[in-house]
Amino acid sequence: MSVDPSLEINELISASHERVSIARDPVNRPMIHHLCDAMGDANPIYLDPEVARNAGHSDVVAPPAALQVWNMTNPSDPEISSDVDRAYGILEASGYPKVVAVNSEQEYERHLVPGDVLTAYEKVESLKGPKQTGLGEGYFITTLTEYKDQNDQLVGTMRFRTLWYTPAVGQEQDND
Amino acid sequence: MTAIAKTQLLVAPVITEGQQLPELKIPVTATLIATGAVATRDFQKVHHDKSVAQAAGTPDIFMNILTTNCLVNRYVSEFSGPLGRIKKINIRLGAPNYPGDEMTFTGTVQAVQGERIVLAINGTNSLGPHVTGTVELTFESQEETR
Repeated sequence: MSVDPSLEINELISASHERVSIARDPVNRPMIHHLCDAMGDANPIYLDPEVARNAGHSDVVAPPAALQVWNMTNPSDPEISSDVDRAYGILEASGYPKVVAVNSEQEYERHLVPGDVLTAYEKVESLKGPKQTGLGEGYFITTLTEYKDQNDQLVGTMRFRTLWYTPAVGQEQDND
Repeated sequence: MTAIAKTQLLVAPVITEGQQLPELKIPVTATLIATGAVATRDFQKVHHDKSVAQAAGTPDIFMNILTTNCLVNRYVSEFSGPLGRIKKINIRLGAPNYPGDEMTFTGTVQAVQGERIVLAINGTNSLGPHVTGTVELTFESQEETR
């Protein structure tokens, strides 16, 4: 049976503790090339410094949608628990064990260029529920991550919303 | 794509409200899913190891969200050309992208408000919409990145 997770999670939201992660490597050309190779993206502003400069940039730029890439957890990093993980754990323990990603909203203040070193600040922003959804009863939880550069200037933000739910009876089928 | 002559002046396309973006078909291969995940530094095994994905209850490996975002980025920047500057990507996630499928991107120019252009985009595979959302871009070429 499910219990109300909102009290505990709202406490985390008001405490507003951020998980801070500093990118191991600066934004760099080899990774931008590698990313474009994987995606089949041939936009010359990502690959050719001269075209990038003609387009008004100081160097090649990273595809804006790659904002998250630079601060991804390295496989060898020790696991550090954060309030986001705690909130997810509370939802799971409250009887909403299934999860689907719902939305991603990214906003970019400027293009990233090689040499930029990003720090990500991630926290739980909001919780909505319980709501009846097509998958079952659940809660929508939104995290906010702000990305700042080496001069402590905001370069982008990301909001990420997941739905944690109790599968509706007769709807056990997985459709992650 | 042919290389752009380096001395050539870059020209922004004429964009009008209601205009359709050219369709783009993306073959969803295991290679795209696995290399996309690793290129976005997402080492979760469900994106590259089929046996782990199946043990987790999905029929196969599936595309990670960062790759989806980067493919939306590619679709929009192929339309805008090198002068387009993406400011926002808001997406809703739907049916997973599994190997062997094909995702077709379509898009419409939803609004042109001065420098600000809003595109509505949709990437649909055989299971239904994989990604739907809006992308905002501008062409303010005088702005320096730093």
